[in-house]
Amino acid sequence: MTGTSHKELIIPNLTKHLSSVRDAVTAVVQESEFPNTDMHRIILAVDEAVANIMEHAYENRDPESKLTINLMLDADSTKFEVRIQDSGKEFDPSDIQTPDIETHVAAGKRSGLGIFLMRQIMDEVKYTFVSGVKNELKMIKYVR
Amino acid sequence: MPELDIKNVDLDDGITQVSLSGFLDAHTFEQLDESIGDLFNEGKFKLIIDLAGLEYISSAGAGVFIGSLAEAQENGGNIVITSTTPNVFEVFDLLGLTQIFSMVDDVESAKKVF
Repeated sequence: MTGTSHKELIIPNLTKHLSSVRDAVTAVVQESEFPNTDMHRIILAVDEAVANIMEHAYENRDPESKLTINLMLDADSTKFEVRIQDSGKEFDPSDIQTPDIETHVAAGKRSGLGIFLMRQIMDEVKYTFVSGVKNELKMIKYVR
Repeated sequence: MPELDIKNVDLDDGITQVSLSGFLDAHTFEQLDESIGDLFNEGKFKLIIDLAGLEYISSAGAGVFIGSLAEAQENGGNIVITSTTPNVFEVFDLLGLTQIFSMVDDVESAKKVF
């Protein structure tokens, strides 16, 4: 089928690899018929999702870490879809409540806004437990 | 690998201009956090954050400003954001931070906020 693009990416559990994630999202969108207008937002949502896995699911900042995160990216003229898999601690974004930004700022809280952004940007944010893989986060953005 | 560059310049009236370029994400935010912490330790609480050269910001990066604002204001200062590119402004907007921070077009306008 024309206009579709697919990429798979396996990255180590290190924040320095977030740039590779952003580059892969850019490539998938640009190589597909998905409109570029939402590209920056989608890059941000996927970056936030992977950064959350690194911080919450793995909680491991060892530079020698062998832990990995798998990404499967698909785009066509109707939607962008990403599936992100990790083998860390179960972490369900739906458990996290939407923060009140004024309270957040008053408390000087520095984290906890990534999931808020993911929900704002993407049309679907679903977490599942996949046997043998463990955590999978699927996010979809539809063309309007 | 995309990095973050930070340049601090002291202006008049106790104001410090912090110019950022590159990428402010979960990999680089601690660099900025430490740099602002150093300025606070030197008693510098009036900060103009010039984002003209910043190509990308995620919530980890915005979190540094969120975490620093209250301390700056409690010490008679403020954090004023200036010269955002459209993509960086969009992140502030999505997070609702355009209502929280003073956001102006250029450094000269930012000086007038203090």
